[in-house]
Amino acid sequence: MSVDLRSAFFYSRKDIFKNIKIFIIITLSIILATANIIVINGLIDGMIEDLVDNTVESSVGHLNIYPDNNERFIEGIGIKEQRLATLKEVEAYSPRISATGVLSNKELSVSSTILALDPDKERKTTKLLEKLVRGAAVNPNDKNAILVSSRLAEDLKLDVGDEATLAFENGIIKVYNVKGIIRTGNLDFDSSTVIMPMDEAYRQLAIDNMASIILVKLSDKSMSEIYKPMIMQNLDVNNIRTWEEETEFVSNFANSWRSISSIISGVGLIAAAISVGIVIYINIIHKKRQIGIMKAIGTSNAFIFTVFLMEAAIFGVIGVFIGDSVGYLAIKYFEANPFLDAISQTWISARFEPQLFYIATIFSFGVTILAGVYPAIKASRVEIIKAIWGT
Amino acid sequence: MEIIKTSNLKKSYMLGNVEVKALNGVDTSIEQGEFVAIMGPSGCGKSTFLNLTGMLDTPTSGEIYLEGKDVTNMNSNMRAEYRLKYMGFVFQFFNLFNELTVMENVMFPMMLNKRSNYKERAKELLNLVGLGDRLNHLPSELSGGQQQRVTIARSLANDPKILLADEPTGNLDTASSIEIIELFRKLNQEQGQTIVMVTHSPEIGGMTDRIIHFRDGTIEH
Ligand SMILES: Nc1ncnc2c1ncn2[C@@H]1O[C@H](COP(=O)(O)OP(=O)(O)OP(=O)(O)O)[C@@H](O)[C@H]1O
Ligand SMILES: [Mg+2]
Repeated sequence: MSVDLRSAFFYSRKDIFKNIKIFIIITLSIILATANIIVINGLIDGMIEDLVDNTVESSVGHLNIYPDNNERFIEGIGIKEQRLATLKEVEAYSPRISATGVLSNKELSVSSTILALDPDKERKTTKLLEKLVRGAAVNPNDKNAILVSSRLAEDLKLDVGDEATLAFENGIIKVYNVKGIIRTGNLDFDSSTVIMPMDEAYRQLAIDNMASIILVKLSDKSMSEIYKPMIMQNLDVNNIRTWEEETEFVSNFANSWRSISSIISGVGLIAAAISVGIVIYINIIHKKRQIGIMKAIGTSNAFIFTVFLMEAAIFGVIGVFIGDSVGYLAIKYFEANPFLDAISQTWISARFEPQLFYIATIFSFGVTILAGVYPAIKASRVEIIKAIWGT
Repeated sequence: MEIIKTSNLKKSYMLGNVEVKALNGVDTSIEQGEFVAIMGPSGCGKSTFLNLTGMLDTPTSGEIYLEGKDVTNMNSNMRAEYRLKYMGFVFQFFNLFNELTVMENVMFPMMLNKRSNYKERAKELLNLVGLGDRLNHLPSELSGGQQQRVTIARSLANDPKILLADEPTGNLDTASSIEIIELFRKLNQEQGQTIVMVTHSPEIGGMTDRIIHFRDGTIEH
């Protein structure tokens, strides 16, 4: 005997809507669970992508050339730069020197990373120098101007126009003028970096024609793996890392955030499932007699099962649909209105991907249906005689 | 034609280790178009008999024939289908679906049976039981007698061959009871409906064609 879905739906619908308050509460729990999945995951995706973009934009090129193992510097960069300039896939490049030092302001001092670069080349390669929050960038031939990263400046109570003393690793000590304050959003960078022109670093460190790293910007970021061996061969270097490799730490970080978001989503889903399950279950307990009558007038066990599973499905369809919409609107709001995360000092904006819709829909709907299965089985097993005579 | 026949029908329940013999060998025969009352003291097995005939429960032993066909061992889906198409039930109380209106209660068995013009038919039946003006009321808005009349209308929805009623007037005052029995009488006379009704009232029993007396799980002759 096949189940007449139309009659089952007719009864489920009447049964569900007879108590609007309960209907709203249950639907709300599904709406929240569904929207929660979209919003939490959208925010975390957004945060991760922002972090990758931020890192790639300010501290790594698409390809980073490093010194050979056991070497501190890449030598003969003049020739290497000439070769890079001839490669049409290479859009720009920027050699940098990094060294350690101690920056002081009066009695305050903090050990710092000195980052020396050619401002013109850097501008073509990364957006680092666009991250100035106050003041101006250094010029290639500035002799006593530096940029100080935001947290370092805060710690040393420095601002644009102040003087600061920098001790180099070779013992040289020199007073510089703070020309600008820079903030990238990368905590490490922001808390310890001093930026100066390449030539000034060469002078103080008594080196020339060397770099600690060369950042390379490609015309197509996604081709980094393909150009890597080509550039290795052309420039005769052995140590190149792509931006994907450089931001690997982000993906580790991303994975732990993703597990957290799965847990949060899961908890929401379980809460929704429990409320759907309990409400349908209690309803069935209250309706035993009516279920008995329904069977007496000629419905099969399968029909009763369908009626109550359909109730879960109706809750699911309505809750998931509204939940998807609410989640979508919330994500669009956060996309348009990023907020500042106090811990990482980065702007977080959500990112919406259609995939989030599918995940939220499938999981929420699936869990709601599952929550209805046990009560529906219970209902289908009601014994007519016992139910009608209340024994 | 013999529409209901039982042969040596027995039903016992286990209460702990004690066997309660609710029916102890019942042989009956009810003709098509008969209006029969079943009477007897409390606990003598009247409801048990009705439930077995209505295929709501299965006997411990013995056979049940409906329209000459042995239905004793039908599976539960076939029983359900048979009940839907050929039987109507009226119990003592709370027969209706609370969340459906009067009209929807009557429509529902017809929807299940995939009948086409179920709305007109439901109105017709409710007019027949005198509730044509209460179509959109909920059961809770009706009196006990009115609710029983809706139940009767619903039980007739799929033109059942057999109408089984277990103390349909048990909860009603005399006036409402008489109304219900007169409705049964009318259905029986005008439509030839076979009706088997359990009752405690000799007055109501006296309005039927025949009374079957039960005592201690058997029929009294
Ligand atoms: N589910 C059950 N479990 C155990 N015993 C039962 C059950 N149903 C009925 N009985 C017993 O079977 C016997 C017959 O019960 P039944 O309900 O058929 O009587 P009845 O004639 O309809 O009585 P009443 O006039 O009070 O309705 C009684 O002794 C009753 O206690
Ligand atoms: Mg009884």
